[in-house]
Amino acid sequence: MPCISSYASRFMFDLAATGTRSKLRVMGFNKPTWTPGHERHRLSASRLKRNDGLRKRRQRQVLERIAARELEGSVLSLAALIGSAVKDPAGNTVGELRDVVVNWTSAASYPPMTGIVMRAGRHDVLIGARWIELLPPASVRLHSSNAYARAAERHPADVALAHDVLDHQVVDSGGTQLVRPSDIYLAAVNGRVEAVGIEVGAGALLRRLGPKRLRGHIRPAQVIDWRDITAFAPARDEAKHPRGRRSDLAGQPGSGLALGAPAADVKRLRPSEVRQALKSYKTRREGDAS
Amino acid sequence: MSAVDTPAGAKRGRSARLPRWLKGVLGLLAILGPGLISANAGNDAGGILTYASAGSQFGYRTLFLLVLITVALVVVQEMCSRLGAYTGEGLGALIREQFPLRSGAAAMALLFVANAGLTVSEFAGVGASMELFGVSRYIAVPLALAGIWAVTVLGNYSRAQRVCLVMGLVFLAYPVAAVLAHPHWGTVVSNLVWPHFLHTNAFLLLSVALIGTTITPYMQFYLTSAVVDKGVTPKTYKGERIDTVNGAILGDIVSIFIIIATAAAIGGTGPLNSVGQAAAALRPVAGAAASQLFAFGLLGASLLAATVVPLSTAYAVAETAGVERSLSRKLREAPFFYGIYTLQLVIGAIIALLPGNLVALVINAQVLNGFITPVLLTYILILANRRSVLGDAANGPAFRAVATVCVAVVAVLSAAVLVQTVSGWV
Repeated sequence: MPCISSYASRFMFDLAATGTRSKLRVMGFNKPTWTPGHERHRLSASRLKRNDGLRKRRQRQVLERIAARELEGSVLSLAALIGSAVKDPAGNTVGELRDVVVNWTSAASYPPMTGIVMRAGRHDVLIGARWIELLPPASVRLHSSNAYARAAERHPADVALAHDVLDHQVVDSGGTQLVRPSDIYLAAVNGRVEAVGIEVGAGALLRRLGPKRLRGHIRPAQVIDWRDITAFAPARDEAKHPRGRRSDLAGQPGSGLALGAPAADVKRLRPSEVRQALKSYKTRREGDAS
Repeated sequence: MSAVDTPAGAKRGRSARLPRWLKGVLGLLAILGPGLISANAGNDAGGILTYASAGSQFGYRTLFLLVLITVALVVVQEMCSRLGAYTGEGLGALIREQFPLRSGAAAMALLFVANAGLTVSEFAGVGASMELFGVSRYIAVPLALAGIWAVTVLGNYSRAQRVCLVMGLVFLAYPVAAVLAHPHWGTVVSNLVWPHFLHTNAFLLLSVALIGTTITPYMQFYLTSAVVDKGVTPKTYKGERIDTVNGAILGDIVSIFIIIATAAAIGGTGPLNSVGQAAAALRPVAGAAASQLFAFGLLGASLLAATVVPLSTAYAVAETAGVERSLSRKLREAPFFYGIYTLQLVIGAIIALLPGNLVALVINAQVLNGFITPVLLTYILILANRRSVLGDAANGPAFRAVATVCVAVVAVLSAAVLVQTVSGWV
């Protein structure tokens, strides 16, 4: 056969010499791209390593997403609580939650809730924590229909979370502004509610901008443990400003939270780490109670 | 505000490697004061073409309006610099802290739209000035886009900014041109002290454009951040107040002279159709070179503003979102900041490349700013009224009344034009 091309002759040879699989390989059917005479390069070691890294990252992301979803029932979100109805034992709405007040002294690393600010009619009233039951994601109930309420006013060491902390700045120990908290997480153990962390991820912002009924779907993304927060900071960190009590500057314009460490050392917890931290926090608290 | 170097900041941080002549010029500027520099920075492509159009279309009739706008500008800028000095935070941060999140997001969306309009007009200014040099805008605008992006993200931005500032000083030739053109001074004075308004749609539209270009929303965000960046405290605020008021008045005096010069040269010839006509007003100073001189100045002013406006948008939006924002960060460290900046630059350049009349495009962008201005001024007014924000420095009853009237008048005017425009479409 003098007119046959070299390719066809190779094919004929292969047909005769080997089995069907190698014939197909010669024809290039099992390769994504194939041109006669060009063999596919083997993947280099660095490429394989990169692919492996990508796969691991994707697995980690899925795990984090699962962890974030699992956290939904175990933490309270301030952003979801604000604006939700306050119900009396009979289930009637008595007002609307405006703010959560915590007491932040150097005695405790996590500030306990001392009351809520409720908008009833045209007035803001303060209801003590002992009358209140908070249930995730955003249910507020009063234990008694004649809960003692007084006019809302500021007391020393009081921090109103929505007014003083949410959306305000967080500065590190060097005075550099890091982030603005887009949400604040609270945890309830044995009826005692404490602020446990601040959310600094952008997802929480989108959640707050979105429709109200989706706000209960909490997905922590980047959380700073409240233990890492040391005090309040003025708008411009002036060295001469005395840092007295932790809550000294709360409520002043431009003030915000101050962290105890430089920016690089501040740990931003991923959902799985939040789950771990929350677990140990709860066992600790339950140990305290018993 | 370390990210966006202010015009005043550019003067302070002078580099040692500048050419000698440039150092001399900057030294002179330092003596003349930062008020002049900020006044000059306010006269961007949008401003100059809008004032020139006012002069050519309505002669001296808009002068009284500009006096009113100056009063409003002084009031607004005083509030902004007070907010910056007393709280130590930019307007973006204050809006995030003091307003519900949704209102804050709405304000930022409006600021983005208004500034996108401005960026369009700056790129149109670049295109128009290069067309005076005989270069097509389809070459000039993409080149400018690439150059601006590269200089800000990769290069030394503050030095380029200074060169642009000096180029923009060409517009200080306008007062001289206005005097040399021998305008009818009697008419000028009577128009300055007494309104000679026209009851036509075109006049109303141009009024909103004048408001939009003089009391630009972006300038208020910029000024507040500049005051914070300068480290002005309540104690040193008195001097800052004088500087702010001077800057506002000086800027508007240059604007008034642009209107006078154009009115004397080509007044009453109808709306401005090309940039070449606007250049005609400089003929008493530069003679045959007027066109080149104007193009040179317009190019500098446009390039400067096309850099600063998207930067200040990105800064304000990132400040409100509470994420990293600084030109000293790497691209990967501040993706949101650079994303907003690049998006606005690209939108601006693309719209400026659409075929059509560049001058009309520029003036429409100023009208858009005029619509958005009263909304953002309301935020500023509410902030400056709040004792919980400013304490004893909050607006007193008299100041509050004056400021409210200013904002209300601007709002009513914009609303009237908006209603007219929309009903014109139907």
